[in-house]
Amino acid sequence: MKTREFWVLFFPSLLVMGALLVLPLVRTVQWSFEQVRYGVPGEFVGLANFVEALTDVRFGRAVLFTVSVTVVTTIILLVGGYIIATAVNRLTITRPLVLGIMLVSYVLPNLVGAVAFSWLFDDSFGGLANRIIEAFTGNQVLWFTDQVPNGILVIANTVWSMIPFAMLIILAGLQGVPSELKEAARIDGASSFQTHLHVIIPTIRGVLGFVTLITIMDVLRMFDNLIPLSPQAQSIGNESIMLYVYSVAFADGAQRLGLGSAINVLTILLILIMLIPFIRGIFKEAKAER
Amino acid sequence: MTIKPLDLSTRAITTGGAPRRKPTRRRPLTGILLGLLCVLMLSPFIWMTLSVTKPTDVAFANPPVFSGYTPTLQAFVDLWQTTYFADYLVNTLVVAVVSTVLALVIGIPAAYALSRFPSYVSALLLVLALVFRALPRFAVVLPMYDISKSLGIYDTTFALALALVAINQPFTIWLLRNFFAEIPRELDEAAMIDGCSRIGMLRRVMIPLMGPGILTAGIFVFLFAFQEYLTALVLTDSSSKTVPVFIATQLGQTLPMLQQAGAASMLLTIPVVVIAFIAQKYLVAGLSDGAVKG
Repeated sequence: MKTREFWVLFFPSLLVMGALLVLPLVRTVQWSFEQVRYGVPGEFVGLANFVEALTDVRFGRAVLFTVSVTVVTTIILLVGGYIIATAVNRLTITRPLVLGIMLVSYVLPNLVGAVAFSWLFDDSFGGLANRIIEAFTGNQVLWFTDQVPNGILVIANTVWSMIPFAMLIILAGLQGVPSELKEAARIDGASSFQTHLHVIIPTIRGVLGFVTLITIMDVLRMFDNLIPLSPQAQSIGNESIMLYVYSVAFADGAQRLGLGSAINVLTILLILIMLIPFIRGIFKEAKAER
Repeated sequence: MTIKPLDLSTRAITTGGAPRRKPTRRRPLTGILLGLLCVLMLSPFIWMTLSVTKPTDVAFANPPVFSGYTPTLQAFVDLWQTTYFADYLVNTLVVAVVSTVLALVIGIPAAYALSRFPSYVSALLLVLALVFRALPRFAVVLPMYDISKSLGIYDTTFALALALVAINQPFTIWLLRNFFAEIPRELDEAAMIDGCSRIGMLRRVMIPLMGPGILTAGIFVFLFAFQEYLTALVLTDSSSKTVPVFIATQLGQTLPMLQQAGAASMLLTIPVVVIAFIAQKYLVAGLSDGAVKG
């Protein structure tokens, strides 16, 4: 393809992304160095916003909460997704049905899923899950007002909505594992567990890496599900980074745009660092194709 | 790590089909556990359905009531009569349809160009697509709010649709590019030797071949737009409010309003679930069959 043709075909998309992604992003970076309100030109304040964000206890707690949820969720998704994918891989005629059911929680709007989840656990809405837990353990769990149980609830909801994705991608990986490999392992006397650990998992490590990356990216910016699941997020210390940005820079007429933008910039830097291995992969591939 | 992320997800979708080999032996335990898992996965949705179809006085009773009431659709009637739900639903649909169409119209040529132009430019653009996909939403949405206010297009369905086109464009391109990459280049060349222009070839040869790929991308973009909460929360106020934003404002209010939120959630969910089931079958048929017969 000629260079000119390439740019003609690519231009409309480039225009939209340039005007509606790059420009706003430049504005965010600019705001992060300013004392600014909506609709009014800002005033340059240097690194003050960054200093404020990094020394703010509330921001520290938001980072801690977000990162903890992200780490736990990622581990559960990898292990759980692998086990479920292995099981689903054995299904024959029921597979489309099982996949369809599993997909429901993934395609549901996050907010709706979280509302439904909160009804299962909130005593003032019936709290079915609480009745069951109480019947077995005799304990009452304060899902919405205690920090740790609330964190567990948020993790449970996140796992619930993302495990179909993890399972599907890992399933695709499992189908790419040559059956000769598994047979060879069996002939060599490997147990089923050893085959998984030493043959299958190393073969699909790229797929597992991809699941890890997407999970981390998506959980780091969680927002929607906390609205119903953690209505008292700030007072119990379960705010996510994005919820914190929202409450300082937008909610109820909040105008601390500079601070909010500085946090956005810090989050972007964090995400960029995590993307480095994937970016190198793409460039390697481009080089190979040349 | 040299994997191409969305290659895998497109492959994942094909896995709904009949497996290529027979299972080694029957494992009833696996089946039972998977059955339980399915029930568990659906339980929030089932519970919501029950709560919404109960009369309001027992809907959120503690301990929960399972029998002795007459199921009712009153919450849906109230939702329809006492709120502007119909307007919100229309807004949501308009935003989803407009942004899906726009995203595909500009995304298809771009993705095709990227798949046929292997160089550092193309790799760089793909990297940017990946980075933009990973961005925290507020980093682009808050400036968009500011800009849309100063342009006077704040709180219009068009502004929201356009914002979602841009936000989902990196994903759209990335997904489509991987479908295009599977179509052999010889096909382009053959068509162009036969006298097609590049654009004509894209329209007459590529797009028909890409049917399943375009459908997949379209479904994803539609779902993203249909369920978007954060962007709609910031870019809309009253006249272009969407259903997810409406649901959130109903929370923490009275119990009848909460039940209406549940009803709204169900109405938002049912079409999405139907799409998930239909799309699964379609994608299996389209892709596992080898849509690319080049």
